[in-house]
Amino acid sequence: MTEFFGLDDFEPRQLDGYTIDDLTDYLERGRTPRDESIESSAGCQIALASLERLRELSRDLLTNESGASAPVSEGWVSGILSNIGREARSGRTIPLQHGADSVDLSITEGAVRGLIRQAGDSVPGVIIGSCVLRGDVTSPGEPIAIEVSASAFVEVPLLETADRIRRVVYDAVRRHTELTVSTVDVVIDDVLLPISDESASDSPSDRNGVQ
Amino acid sequence: MNDLQRTRLPGLADATDAVLAVRAAQGDERAFEMIVRRHGSLMRAYAARILGGWADSDDVVQTAFITAWNKLPDLADGTALKAWLMRITSHAAIDRIRARKDHSSLEDYDAPTPESKSPAAIAENHSQIEALSGALEKLPQIQRQCWIMREVGGESYDEIAKQLDVPLSTVRGALSRARAGLITEMEAWR
Repeated sequence: MTEFFGLDDFEPRQLDGYTIDDLTDYLERGRTPRDESIESSAGCQIALASLERLRELSRDLLTNESGASAPVSEGWVSGILSNIGREARSGRTIPLQHGADSVDLSITEGAVRGLIRQAGDSVPGVIIGSCVLRGDVTSPGEPIAIEVSASAFVEVPLLETADRIRRVVYDAVRRHTELTVSTVDVVIDDVLLPISDESASDSPSDRNGVQ
Repeated sequence: MNDLQRTRLPGLADATDAVLAVRAAQGDERAFEMIVRRHGSLMRAYAARILGGWADSDDVVQTAFITAWNKLPDLADGTALKAWLMRITSHAAIDRIRARKDHSSLEDYDAPTPESKSPAAIAENHSQIEALSGALEKLPQIQRQCWIMREVGGESYDEIAKQLDVPLSTVRGALSRARAGLITEMEAWR
């Protein structure tokens, strides 16, 4: 089908000697360096516009028509979660001394990281990121350094917040383990913008997930 | 503190992909669950496109997520989580297609049909997307797979060649033919 602005096909003779693949390469280079012979060719301009539209449509293919923005079902999510292997993440084994010599008690490094995350997340406006235990956690009494990264809500006072994280993490580890914590280093490496009430009804995945 | 009262404090669902990735890599199942909720639907749609139907897409994405969980500790850049998940998904989908061929039964798969119509479905470019979708279905399998992985999944030529286990030149050729076919059809949609 030909319209007055269209082309019968995209043969080089209609594209001033260029091929569709040449023009694709040119587009993928971001149309730089600017090529006058392409930019001034009517045939090439039509083809470039079509190529761009085609790429745009292709990118929209999943999000617009396939239910890709629909929430996943609960059964499906729990099906996946029940199939992942947990043992792989347990890390080192941290001994706990207990009264009786005959009883071997221990806690995994993974579990300690979990309680550190939980403690840190309890500070308002904070989401804990990574959490690392430095030092020999398997030897009782060895000094351990804890490194924690966190995202903080932009409206909370950062220094005070970092200090609160440090305290709750320190307290939680002391309460639940026998580790000798020498330092707790907190790095706030991301700042979260406010979530207004108007957008509260939006699902967070719409805002933070797929662009 | 008025501002703090007016606005909702962020929770794990508001965390960036990078934060979720590092937490999941360190064993946080809740963070992994957020990843599944955030990207699962898109991965399913992507898998269905590559598979040529919804039939095995749930299974493929389940497999992809199990792989993702196991490999998350190796993901160096958490901000690239989505692209990384898409690659794992196409890999799982291609594996599934190979397995089907081993059983050498299915040749024609049902075309992926929209599961639900969103308000966006009535948007202006909807009919063009439908048309593109139809045109893609008509392409030979290798062309369709290359096109989906390149233009929808954003994968590199190298990655596609590796995944499909074909030479780079085959990928280039398939993409070139797919492009020529699609763009010519597109002219007819105007």
